Amino acid sequence: MSDVFPKWTNTLPLKVALGVALTGALVTAGAWYYLTPKYSRVGYQPTQPVHFSHAIHAGQLGMDCRYCHSTVDKSWYANVPAANVCMNCHNTVLKDDPRLALIRDSAATGKPVPWVQIHRTPDYAYFNHAVHVTRGVSCVECHGRIDQMEEVAQVKPLHMAFCLDCHRNPAMAIRPADKVTDLAFKWDNDPEQAALKQKLFGEKAVHDWKIQSQENCSACHR
Amino acid sequence: MKTIPPPCPEPETTKYFRSIESLENSPEARAWVDREFPAGASENEGDFNRRDFMKLMSASMALAGAGILGSGCRKPEQHIYPFAKLPDDYVHGVSKFYATAFPTRNGAIPLLVKSHEGRPTKVEGNPEHPDSNGGTDVFAQASILSLYDPDRAQFNGPREAALTKLGDIATKFSANQGAGLAFLLERGTSPSRNRLQLAIQQKFSAAKFYAYEPVDFDIHRQAATTAVGRSVTPYFKYDQAKAILSLDCDFLGGDGESHLNMRDFSKSRRASKDAMNRLYVAEALMSQTGMSADHRLRVPSSQVIAIAAAIAAKLVAGFDASKIPLPAGVDAKWVEECANDLKAGGATSLVVAGYRQPLAVHLLAHAINGALGALGKTVEFRETPDLKEQGIAALAESLNKGEVDTLVILGGNPVYNAPADLNWAVTQRKAKTVVRLGYYEDETSAVADLNLPAAHYLESWGDVKTADGTTVIVQPLIQPLFGGLTELEVLARIGGLAEMDAYKITRETSGLGEEAWKKALHDGFVANTASKPVAVTFNPAVLAPALASVTVSAPSKENLEVIFARDYSVDDGRWANNGWLVEVPDPVTKMTWDNAVLVSRKTAEELGVKNTQFVELALAGKTVRAPVWVVPGMANHTLGLPLGFGRAKGGRIANFNGKQVGFDFYPLRNAANQGFAIGAKISPVAEQYSFACTQDHWSLEGRPIIREIIPKQVGDPKAVEAMDFPPPPGGNQSLYPNPFDAIKAKGLHQWGMAIDLNTCVGCNACVIACQSENNVPVVGKDQVRRGREMLWLRIDRYFTGTPAAEKIRSEKNEVLQPDWDQYKQTWIDDPQVVTQPMMCQHCEAAPCESVCPVNATVHDEEGLNLMVYNRCVGTRYCSNNCPWKVRRFNYFDYTKRPITNLYKPTLTFKPTKPEDEFELLKLARNPDVTVRMRGVMEKCTFCVQRIEGAKIAQKVKAGQSADVIVRDGTIKTACQQACPAESITFGDINDPKSAVSLAKADSRNYTTLEFLYTKPRLTYLARVRNQNEKMPDYHPMPFTSQVYSDHSGGHESGGGHGGGTNGAPKKEGAPH
Repeated sequence: MSDVFPKWTNTLPLKVALGVALTGALVTAGAWYYLTPKYSRVGYQPTQPVHFSHAIHAGQLGMDCRYCHSTVDKSWYANVPAANVCMNCHNTVLKDDPRLALIRDSAATGKPVPWVQIHRTPDYAYFNHAVHVTRGVSCVECHGRIDQMEEVAQVKPLHMAFCLDCHRNPAMAIRPADKVTDLAFKWDNDPEQAALKQKLFGEKAVHDWKIQSQENCSACHR
Repeated sequence: MKTIPPPCPEPETTKYFRSIESLENSPEARAWVDREFPAGASENEGDFNRRDFMKLMSASMALAGAGILGSGCRKPEQHIYPFAKLPDDYVHGVSKFYATAFPTRNGAIPLLVKSHEGRPTKVEGNPEHPDSNGGTDVFAQASILSLYDPDRAQFNGPREAALTKLGDIATKFSANQGAGLAFLLERGTSPSRNRLQLAIQQKFSAAKFYAYEPVDFDIHRQAATTAVGRSVTPYFKYDQAKAILSLDCDFLGGDGESHLNMRDFSKSRRASKDAMNRLYVAEALMSQTGMSADHRLRVPSSQVIAIAAAIAAKLVAGFDASKIPLPAGVDAKWVEECANDLKAGGATSLVVAGYRQPLAVHLLAHAINGALGALGKTVEFRETPDLKEQGIAALAESLNKGEVDTLVILGGNPVYNAPADLNWAVTQRKAKTVVRLGYYEDETSAVADLNLPAAHYLESWGDVKTADGTTVIVQPLIQPLFGGLTELEVLARIGGLAEMDAYKITRETSGLGEEAWKKALHDGFVANTASKPVAVTFNPAVLAPALASVTVSAPSKENLEVIFARDYSVDDGRWANNGWLVEVPDPVTKMTWDNAVLVSRKTAEELGVKNTQFVELALAGKTVRAPVWVVPGMANHTLGLPLGFGRAKGGRIANFNGKQVGFDFYPLRNAANQGFAIGAKISPVAEQYSFACTQDHWSLEGRPIIREIIPKQVGDPKAVEAMDFPPPPGGNQSLYPNPFDAIKAKGLHQWGMAIDLNTCVGCNACVIACQSENNVPVVGKDQVRRGREMLWLRIDRYFTGTPAAEKIRSEKNEVLQPDWDQYKQTWIDDPQVVTQPMMCQHCEAAPCESVCPVNATVHDEEGLNLMVYNRCVGTRYCSNNCPWKVRRFNYFDYTKRPITNLYKPTLTFKPTKPEDEFELLKLARNPDVTVRMRGVMEKCTFCVQRIEGAKIAQKVKAGQSADVIVRDGTIKTACQQACPAESITFGDINDPKSAVSLAKADSRNYTTLEFLYTKPRLTYLARVRNQNEKMPDYHPMPFTSQVYSDHSGGHESGGGHGGGTNGAPKKEGAPH
């Protein structure tokens, strides 16, 4: 009897399987790399309606984070300041500058400025700013060196693994309360010494303040 | 290997050619061959040719592709809109509480309402109020949903135009002293409204005021006033009473200020051997009060007068009851021993009469209280203004005579619920102009000329007096959503009074200075306004005229008594459009979305009616067609007709899917007999109705899930512990170490809860509070019928027959009969009833946690069983494994999908609720709790959002100190907060002094299904039945304990495996 199937079909299943496996691996790798928060969120730097520069205000002028984000140590929500907070200074400083037009309009008419939200976690995850800020976790741990940013970008992925990294080892992120908004703070210029001092202080703080950084789900999932 | 064909040799001899031209090899032919494509097919001479097009398109596609992979597929921009000017004390994310009050017919419930981002989201009680423990009732809890009801009335046309019309009325009647102006009001205790009423009466001396409530508790005031000769309202002090006789008075279930009654009754119910109270109830329907009774006598409502007379004959000197003999069938010994017990109690006894009973019964009750010396002790009297409003019958008369020019109806729904013989729909129209202030566009607004939308109490300025006389300022938490008006505003405008603003009117009535006003608003009450009880004596002369017209009837098969009952869910019909209330199971029948003709087993048998069968019920010339529902423990020849259903026009819940929900019994109710009436006839109809009942099985079957003891066993832990299924052979041990034990040490607190079954009456306030706090959806009758109701907390209710009846039951093997035949079984005639709130037990060794394939339900180190919604894939194995079946699964997207059409496919049918409904209901949601979607399991979380909120608040306060333990009493779960009887205790069991630790240390503490060894954190305190040994229906053990004992062959554990074995204890391991 003659060959029903051409010879090249002998190796076809193997090739298909290899092809599928390879495609699957590539797709998985691609998704893992490109579609997870570390790639998709880090670096998000949308254009804001008003070109507010943290580098100037928080960095150069040295304003404390809490002057504008006033409820960060009172509530879960760290508020974007209302226009009247800006006008505290800007009713005299750069009084007629066109870059501040939207702010002045907002303060005058009551229409809010449509800031673009950068740091977002899903609605089912309930993060509370106040408990972190008042217990020694600095803004820089999650938001990076905002005081050096012209335009704010997201520098940490803020996925659950990121939160767990710190919750499993809070001693690496706790600092004295008065240094929480000091984004440039370093224990020491020498990284090894700095790490050691952080460890010493952190462990003492975790013990003394009974810091219980919860690793169970009820910490955030309600 | 590929075979290579040999090369083709070039033909040398013959030359092949394709065409003449090619053979010729002319220049044209050569040119033709040289060109790859014919002329015209190659490049366009113009600017943009095909190549350019291809280049451009492919480049764009590539860019688009790159864009998708790169920045083009980023998450869409979300915006943050801050304030332009931040309000002074506004902290976004922190909820605020404002003090106000929920007005009731003859009082109010003081509240602290939680406000999120400027809108109220949760109703809680105000424990600062002098006469409140912070408890609320089911209606106050559900009222928040009514605020966001999309069917609320709105202005048809400009608001100003309507207000101008009211001003015109004022002008019109200024000319003739208000002749022809009539007001129909609901009952209320607002001092401002009273002041405006008096002001209008002064200005328009010919104007008339009428008051009507279909369920009217004013009889208590009228009776007390008649009894003592001054205008007073009785204030019953159930906490001072040791022996209570209720003459058809459902004081725990809805007669008067039941939240106060529950609080007080439970105070002296909390078991201690000597100090417990004892409740005797004589009633026809099975009511919530009857469920809590120690001794219950089933008697038709029309015969309660005879019982009152018999007791008065024994206790009131000189009273002659010979004209009102005890009817046949009423146990004289029951009445006698009850009277003896009341006499023994003296000033600590209390007799109360229900609102449906005629004046004579109330007067007899006061007479008995007077004779016992209880006046002023277990019942206080407080002075009440008597505004002398007339009733609706008088208004109907006036309308029929053509005397009414303008009728102003404030609230209420008389076209739906006025007595049928007044023919109100026609009668109301006889007024020339009808102005109606209503919350919905309902039956009454169809017969009105000017319809004004009413404001909800959470949107209103006003005031009320609670039962003790304290004034509470009602302050709004949100601007009227639809521009509604308050009663005060309407009255002021119609009266043409100077002040028309509700805030200013209330301020003026209060007479408070600035600081005192602010304090009253902050505290939730005006200090020192409680009325003092007045000393009274009973005037015996009032009895004779009241009793002169009394007849005691004997209802029979042909002459049935019908009782018009206030429904536990929808009241008199005002809540018929509130999805939460319509869907919460009735405390007695566990029925949702419906009412029925309630009847006893024997009467149903006599009438030849099956359970759920339709009947034609005829009374006084009117007929209603409704299905029948057999209720255990009802008096024979009486029919219970819960009011409030069968609305013709109430909204999308009241008219679910365009159809009538439930059955309207108002057409049978006449003005003369609004409480109960005799003379009904029933004829069966060959049709069955399908009810959505959440608890079909009535018997506990002797299982020690609910345990009851008697007072002398209080203090003996063995009494309660011993009642359990026997442990497995070898005792309770674990094969593997419990992973929770390893992490337990890390928890700063360990949460636990204890529920006292002795004080719980099954009122459903906790159920609705949980629904409100946790965004639990409403699913509709069809889904409830499939067992898919979403309530996280359910109240199980069981009936147990007398020991003799239960013996017959086991002999007849009735437990093997299907549930739909239960209504035929004789044991249900005289049952004892027990209720038990059931929610997630938060087991330390939870069976649900180990079976989740995706680890969506885990245990935290503080003992809570957690539910992580985003991880759940909907396997439902956890619910399968739960022995208590307390997990609820979202079979559909109940939040977004319209519940009238859950099964239609998404592609062909618009899958969302109407926009107005969806947008409004969003406001009712609690932002601290995830709203769950289809496919996700949910269950009680012990209000984890409140626990975490309290822990966070404590840590924020602690800052850099170690003061992180939450103080006992800081966290109140929603159910605990709502309960007026304080049955639920929650807290830290790590702290031996916390309230919950003390409760769990009580000898009555037990765990349900303890033999399963799942170690639940939720335990219960056994119920105590305090029976009187001398009573004819005395039994040494509560019925459930007796059945348990009979089934398990004795109290000792190990005396038989499981239920159904009688006789001698078996050896462990022996087969059975």
